[in-house]
Amino acid sequence: MGTLETMKDIFDNPNKIIEEWKKDGRKVVGHRCMYVPEEIIHAAGMLPYPTFGTPEPIKKADSYFQPCACEFVRNLFDLALDKKFGFLDSMVLCNTCDAVRHLYNMWDTYVDSVPCYMVNNPQKMYDESGFKFYRMELEKFKKLMEDLSGNKITDESLKKSIELYDETRKLLKELNDLRKRDIPAISGSEFLVTSMASMLMPKEKANPLLRKLIDEVKNREIKNADGPRILLTGSIIDNPTLIELVEDMGGVVAVDDLCTSAKYFWYTTKPNNDPMDAIVRFNLERTLCACAHPSEDRYDYLQELIREFNVDGIIYFNIKYCHPFVYESAIFRKKLEEEVPTLTLEVDHSLSGLGQLKTRVQAFIEML
Amino acid sequence: MTTKVTAPGKKSLQTSLEIGKAVKAYYANIKEAKEKGVPVIWSYGLIPREIFNALDAPAIYLEHLPVVIGTKQLSGHYIQIAEEEGFSRDVCAFHRCFLGCAVAKEREPYLEKFFAPPDIIVATNLPCMSESKSFLYVADHYGIPYHFVDAPINTWGSDIPDYAVEYYVDQLQGAIDFLVEHGFNYNRDKLKESVCLSKRLVELWNEIDGYRKAVPSPMSSVDGFTACYPLVSLAGTQLGVTLYENLLEELKQKVANKEGVLDNEKLRLMWFGVPPVYNMGLLNYVEKYDAVVVKSMVEYIVGGAYDPSIMDPERPLESLAYKSLVDIINPTSENMVDFVVKTVKEFKIDGLIGSVKRSCGLLPGYMRLIKDAVYQEVGIPTSIFDLDGMDIREYDDVTSKANLDSFVESLLASKRK
Repeated sequence: MGTLETMKDIFDNPNKIIEEWKKDGRKVVGHRCMYVPEEIIHAAGMLPYPTFGTPEPIKKADSYFQPCACEFVRNLFDLALDKKFGFLDSMVLCNTCDAVRHLYNMWDTYVDSVPCYMVNNPQKMYDESGFKFYRMELEKFKKLMEDLSGNKITDESLKKSIELYDETRKLLKELNDLRKRDIPAISGSEFLVTSMASMLMPKEKANPLLRKLIDEVKNREIKNADGPRILLTGSIIDNPTLIELVEDMGGVVAVDDLCTSAKYFWYTTKPNNDPMDAIVRFNLERTLCACAHPSEDRYDYLQELIREFNVDGIIYFNIKYCHPFVYESAIFRKKLEEEVPTLTLEVDHSLSGLGQLKTRVQAFIEML
Repeated sequence: MTTKVTAPGKKSLQTSLEIGKAVKAYYANIKEAKEKGVPVIWSYGLIPREIFNALDAPAIYLEHLPVVIGTKQLSGHYIQIAEEEGFSRDVCAFHRCFLGCAVAKEREPYLEKFFAPPDIIVATNLPCMSESKSFLYVADHYGIPYHFVDAPINTWGSDIPDYAVEYYVDQLQGAIDFLVEHGFNYNRDKLKESVCLSKRLVELWNEIDGYRKAVPSPMSSVDGFTACYPLVSLAGTQLGVTLYENLLEELKQKVANKEGVLDNEKLRLMWFGVPPVYNMGLLNYVEKYDAVVVKSMVEYIVGGAYDPSIMDPERPLESLAYKSLVDIINPTSENMVDFVVKTVKEFKIDGLIGSVKRSCGLLPGYMRLIKDAVYQEVGIPTSIFDLDGMDIREYDDVTSKANLDSFVESLLASKRK
């Protein structure tokens, strides 16, 4: 099995990772959104597990959330109610969008089997008083993780975890850079699967696999690479179907600005003797999430992606009622269109209505 | 779907008329300031009003102007304009209404009395994301400065840690510094005075609530919807205090005379969610069953639900930060749920109505939690249904009334048992 296939297998069967990890009695901490520092969980000897959804229709959660709540969040809650996250020893959320904040309320009230905790991060970046506040919140979180794991988190253990996670980010970025070529070495859908598999795996295992994969694909050229180069952005995409749809219509997904991809690895921590401060600054000296401010920072970052990956067109895939991106796409649209054509599409997380989407994507790609 | 089925709410209090006049005067003063060259600020009510008082800064609040537009049944027109600008129907209808009005090439003559274009924006993320994001578009459209005040969400209940208060104080101070940089003069004594008046305002609001608990109810939520205006725009002013003193006196009199909204009050209801501002008459609709909407959560949308004793004029910014953080309108639900349960108990509510504005990221999320808590702790049922209180285009009169009919009839039937 080649490494791409190995990554796909991990992506398709994340339970194997959990089973192997838990064999020795080690704990797993689920999380959602980027302001939950995985390094702290890892330094306590536990596995940080990014919770993703499934394209399954929502069953139980719709009697808790109104249908106007983000479908991704309802899907996560549905899985929680269905005890699909029963392997988690704890769930950690953070202060991003309204829907995630309500997920915390719901989880905390109705999911007894897995305790839920909220990391209260600022939404304003580059603000010294915000750094101080977040540091206090992270100190509380660190203590919680120590209590949950029974392991003390030392500066040394935290530094090692940061180093390990930075290595994953660097490797994913190196792999992502192979998409800058006129004929990319890896397709958008392959990359998303690899990125998500790397997020799910213990980084001790992910890093050697990523090194191997880079070696394997660095001289590779994907087929059907003569179409327009697309930057994919918008709400979380945790399934390659939408990317495959763009590729099937002749687009080359040259880069994606997604929580499950570039946002995860675009930056690494800066050298800092104080590892907690390094984490604070890593999260608050960048605006990658559409929830955060200043939004100009995110706009500049999108510009950087457009330039570096020689982008011909942008597609926003906004999950219905995903307010951060529904706002952002409306706010950025005019400015972005001065650079490259931009298409905003409303999608269901459950991937219904793909036929209509296909038509619109096809028309956009033909136009490009 | 037509304007014919809608009607303004019936108000029964003299003070409601006085408050109506105060609203007009408030906007007239802003327009006058604008004409004199004073920059007009657009902001949101959870940025404490007292700060703007201390800076003598004229401010228009996003949660109020759409109400003015909505009550004149103009929301559909302006929402349509925002949608043409690229804002999806998923985005809060209040914000679409506000955005549409902001970017419209022309406005109805009636609205021109209330509309002053912004020169500066002070936005925040409390209680929801829309507050900070929609204003970005307005700032771009007018090419004006934008300042963002970050508010931590309340994960601590009523016991807010010092570091959270300190952070929010820094954020509020940042807003003050920003406005000073843009030409306003900050007067700390005025802030202290304003905090003092705010404290008094909420004490009076609590006293008013005390009388509103009376059976029969001396005041319905139709009046309550108007009566909460001073909490939005007149906090920290003598005018706000005077209006509430008048309201208190009027209610004292009504309670002493056992004068209720209805002669034969049989049911007491509470409304959770945004009532239809274009058709407040819907709240009177249930009166045919001798039912009265005694209370509405929206009356507390930007304050009034906190204990005024936390306000210390000698520590004005800390007090304002603290009260904002414990406010019930917070993305975490503990304080909101507790508050609704307490209100249901104290106001002897028989049934809770939850109207869902589908474009709202905040209030619908509380519905199930509140429904369960109210039922478990007080044994009171809740009826939840779709009703967009701002976007008149979404209004379905027949369905809305049918929802109310069935709920009220079932409540009456249980009472008869």
